[in-house]
This record gives sequence, structure tokens and C-alpha cells, in this order.
Amino acid sequence: MAPADGAAERTVDRVVMRDIRKRYGMVDALRGVTLRVGPGEVIGLVGDNAAGKSTLMKVLAGAVVPDSGEIVFDGQTVSFATPRDARELGIEMVYQDLALCDDIDVAGNLFLGREPRKAGGLLLDVARMHRDARQHLDALNIRIPLTDIPVGGLSGGQRQAVAIARAVTFGPKLLILDEPTAALAVAEVETVLELIKTVSAQGVSVILITHRLQDLFRVCDRLCVMYEGTLRADLDARATSLERLVSEIVAHDQIDSGKSDAGKADGRKGNDTTEGARR
Amino acid sequence: MTTSEPTTTAGKPPVVSERVVTTRAARANAHIGKHAQTIAIGVVLVLLLIFFAFSADRFATTGNLLNLLRQISPTLIVAIAMTFVISTSGIDLSVGSTVALTGSLLAIVLQHGWDPTLALVAILALGALIGFINGWFSSYQNIPPFIVTLAMLSIMRGTALRATEGYSTPIDGDLWIVQLGQGRVAGIPVPVILAVVVAAVGWITLTRTPFGRYVIGLGSNGESLRRTGVNTRKVGLAVYVLTGLAAALAGVLIATRLSSGSSNAGSGFELEVITAVVLGGTSLFGGRGSMLGTMLGALTLGVIANGLVLLHVSPFYVQIVQGAILLLAIFANSKVWARFGAVRK
Ligand SMILES: Nc1ncnc2c1ncn2[C@@H]1O[C@H](COP(=O)(O)OP(=O)(O)OP(=O)(O)O)[C@@H](O)[C@H]1O
Ligand SMILES: [Mg+2]
Repeated sequence: MAPADGAAERTVDRVVMRDIRKRYGMVDALRGVTLRVGPGEVIGLVGDNAAGKSTLMKVLAGAVVPDSGEIVFDGQTVSFATPRDARELGIEMVYQDLALCDDIDVAGNLFLGREPRKAGGLLLDVARMHRDARQHLDALNIRIPLTDIPVGGLSGGQRQAVAIARAVTFGPKLLILDEPTAALAVAEVETVLELIKTVSAQGVSVILITHRLQDLFRVCDRLCVMYEGTLRADLDARATSLERLVSEIVAHDQIDSGKSDAGKADGRKGNDTTEGARR
Repeated sequence: MTTSEPTTTAGKPPVVSERVVTTRAARANAHIGKHAQTIAIGVVLVLLLIFFAFSADRFATTGNLLNLLRQISPTLIVAIAMTFVISTSGIDLSVGSTVALTGSLLAIVLQHGWDPTLALVAILALGALIGFINGWFSSYQNIPPFIVTLAMLSIMRGTALRATEGYSTPIDGDLWIVQLGQGRVAGIPVPVILAVVVAAVGWITLTRTPFGRYVIGLGSNGESLRRTGVNTRKVGLAVYVLTGLAAALAGVLIATRLSSGSSNAGSGFELEVITAVVLGGTSLFGGRGSMLGTMLGALTLGVIANGLVLLHVSPFYVQIVQGAILLLAIFANSKVWARFGAVRK
């Protein structure tokens, strides 16, 4: 695979998901998805509602255990039984439903699961938690004046900002953002897009799910289109027009999509190579 | 929350500062909401104390107050543990039966000549095991804790009845373990000292440790907590071990105070404990727990029971009053205090 950004270390993919399958009762949420992400690469993951985007990303974040399939992270085959396993490897995700605890304050949510401790790890270091939370929020330009109010009392956008801050703060290697800008005002969306550019320049891989297609073209290297639990297309963001992307999402050639999807599962690697070479 | 918030005029610069003001108000609001019920129950307690002090002559004596505290100690100890369970949005109905079983078994093994220290350790371990079973079914198998602990209530009570054949078993007054229920240190009953220690440890654990955080988080939004990498099942199980352990300690205190283990002990105990917790402002829906509230709640129940007896009211009324208080407390919990903005359910 040819490196796109001229980085020599891109011999190893940051993550490769191979033939991931997941079924919920009668719904085949994922029907064999293969996806690869390079270091510092920004992937836009798009698709219709219920295409399986969130489910695929939850698999990658360890929140959902797939029925079958393989995940290779930094060259190592891994399997995540819990979100902790994924977090320990440096995979952070902003969930579509944010996954905040409404009764816990801003600082508490930011550090949930990795609280600073004192007294030999027995007690929470509450003072440090608030101090560090303020620093992290300021560094991300997030305007939440107080860190000791329960997040249940924040606005939707502020809650989203807290969720983003939590994912970014602990130096992830792979950042998954599931519709992170859905509730944000214009200026805040800009902040998030800038943030994506900044972290990817530092080598952090980013997967961005959004229905705001215009944003994708501003930050993404590749666009992956999902359709009914399969990866339908893997496009170079710079060589793809908005019209093309839209037609892939709504699946214009729907009539034979069942067959061609099955074929694509095998042909995807070849597809990747051509995409890479085209850049 | 919008009451004191002046609507911003279109001008841009003041927005930031105005925001700070509104969020300060929100914070104050949240803090009042958090403590409103604790404050309210504190006020109720003071009013009750004044009322009984004037209406029942023997109420305000040191002897009676120490006796009152000793009476509520077992309730308070289990209520502290129950605060953790209810904060996770769980419930443990089996504590009363556990009190009966552990008290009975303690008396029986002592009668068989067990060393009191060994007996105490074994009884506490049994309590923890009962809690473990409760926790395993409800947290690891996702069976509603209401059903799990209701079943355990029946199993434990039945076991206690079977073990004692319905008779109460006397405990030899010369054994040191009797001091747990009857002894005094510097004039203060040992159960009261134990209850204060348990309450202090419980308070620190809930408010100042990661475990306490996770308990609140589990009740607030368990799936969110799980996604941050916390082992939520372990947390969900641990709280039942706490109530099991606390119930066993309560069983020991009650049996040693009466110098006998009875399979009828602790009937209605679970109701008393849950009432104390809910009265203190801990939310039955989880995510909100107050240790101070629980302490005040247990004290209030004790004062009512003790005061009514001193006023020569029939003890049967005490149960009626307690049930009515539970209903009122839950009503206040979900309807009145929710207005203070801290809860968003
Ligand atoms: N926990 C679950 N239980 C049952 N079915 C589920 C579950 N999670 C997802 N599904 C199903 O899997 C399919 C894919 O859902 P998913 O949330 O991944 O879609 P999505 O692409 O993220 O959609 P959206 O754009 O609306 O967020 C849907 O049909 C959904 O009903
Ligand atoms: Mg989704």
C-alpha cells in the first residue's frame, strides 16, 4: 500500500478490521465488513441510517463483541472483551449517545474510569480532577465555565463537548467520532474539525461518522460508504465529488447490490490498493 | 432553571459573562437540589425531637437517647450499605431474613462450643456469601434484584426456621461476644460506636473513592460507565456483598443484645432500612445517594418509634406510621425534590 502523506512508517496499518460480522436477533447489523485505517489517516464513515456504522465502531471500541471477524491493531491481532481492553491500546470513541453519566459532574465524567487518585490509590484526588479538567477543556477551547455541575444540567452541545474532551484528553492512537457535531453550533463544529486536523497531523488516526457531508471533504483522506451492513465503497476523498458520494450512499445501483456486495468482500483489498495508488 | 435568567439582548460580548452567571445559579440550584431532601429530613428530625422532648417526660434523658441510638444501630449499619445498593438502582429485600439467619446460627454454633471469634468471622463470611449470591444473580445474570432478593428473603427465613425449629436459642452471657450487643465503652453502647464507624467509612467510600463514583455512575447510566472501561458487573456485585455483610453484623448485634438467636428476628427490618435510605434522599432510580441523609433518616425512624412508645401509643401503630412514612418519602422523592433541577430523569 502506497503511503499517502509521505510518512515512511506507514508500512504498518494502525488498524485493520477483517470480515466483521454481527447479528442482533433477526437484524444482520454487520455482514462481513473489512476496513483499514493508516496512522494519521482520517476516514469518513458514511451511510444511510441503520447501515451499521455505529455498530462497526462499537466493535472497534470494544463496546460490542462481534460474532466473527478479526481486528489487527498496530500489527497485532487483538480481541476486545470489554471497552477497557480497547482503551488500554489507545482507542477512544465518542459515542453517538455520548455515554455520559448525568448525575456525575463535568470533571467526574471527563475522568470516569481513570480518575486521578491519592492516598495510595484509595481516594479520589478531587481537587486535581477539577484542576486538570479545567486545563483540558481550555486547551480544547471548550467553554464550560464550571467543572463541578452535573452534566445532566448542561446543554446538548456542551454535553457533546464533554464527550469529545474525554476521548481526546488521554492521548489516543485512534479516535472514533460517531456524529460528534450533531448538536454543535457553527463555531464549535469548526473547533472539532480543526481538532481533527491537529490530532491527525500528530499521527492520531481518526474515524469520523457524520451526516454533514460537506465536513467530510474538509478533513478526510478517505471516505468509506456503508450500506446495509456491508462496506459498499472506499473512496479517495480528494478525487470524489459530492454527487458521487451521495449516489454511493443512497445506493443508485440498488437492484444488484446484494450480489455485488458479496463480490466486493473479496475484491476489497484490491480496491484499497487501487485507491492508494491513485493518490 | 430559567427563572432568574435574564434573556440576553442580541449584543455579543456580554454572552460569556452572562453564561458564567447562569451556570453559577445552575450550580447553586444543583447543590440545593442535591441536599434539599437531606436538609428537609434534618428539619423534620429536629421538630420531632422538640415535640417528644415536651410531650414525653422521659424522652430527653441521656439514658433514653443512648438507648434509642443503640436500638437504631443495626438499622443504621444496614442502611449505610443499602444506600450503596439503592444508588446503583438496585434493592436488597433479603437483609431482614439474613439478620434472622445469622443471629440464629451464631447462637447455635456458640451452643455447640465454637470459639466466639471464629463464630463471628464465620457468620460475617456467611453474610458476605449471601450477598455474593444476590449480586451474582442480579449483576452477572441480569435478573432484577427485586426478584432475586425476594427469593433469598424466603430462602434465608426458611433456613433460619429450619435450623432453630422455631425456638430461640440462648447465648451464654459470659462469652465476650455478648459485649458487642450489651457492652459500653466510656458509657457509649458498643453498637452505637460500630454504627458511627460504619457510617463514617460508608460516607468516605461513597463520596471520596473511585468505587463510590462507580456506584453512582452505575445507577446513573450503567452502559455509559461500562463503555469507559469500568467493570460494572463487579461494582454491581460488590454492593450486595456490602449489604450481606452489614446484615450479618446487624444479626450479631441483635442476637447478642438479646442474648438469644431467634428465627423471628428482623421481620420488617428490610422495610425499616429501605425507609431510612429513601427518607434521606437517596433516589430509588439510582444515581443519587446521600449518606448523611441515610443517617438522619434512620435517626428519624428511631425517634418516632421510641417517642411513640414513651407516649404509650400501641406498638402496632409504629408499623403503620413507618409504612406511611415510606410512601410519603418516595412521593416527595419523585415529585417534590425533582423540581430542584438536580434530577433529570
Ligand atoms: N443493541 C442492538 N440490539 C438490536 N439491534 C441493534 C442493536 N444495535 C444496532 N442494532 C441494529 O443494527 C443495525 C445497525 O445499527 P447502527 O446503529 O450501527 O446504524 P448506523 O449506521 O449507526 O445508523 P445511524 O446513522 O442512524 O446512526 C440497525 O438495524 C439496528 O436496529
Ligand atoms: Mg449510528
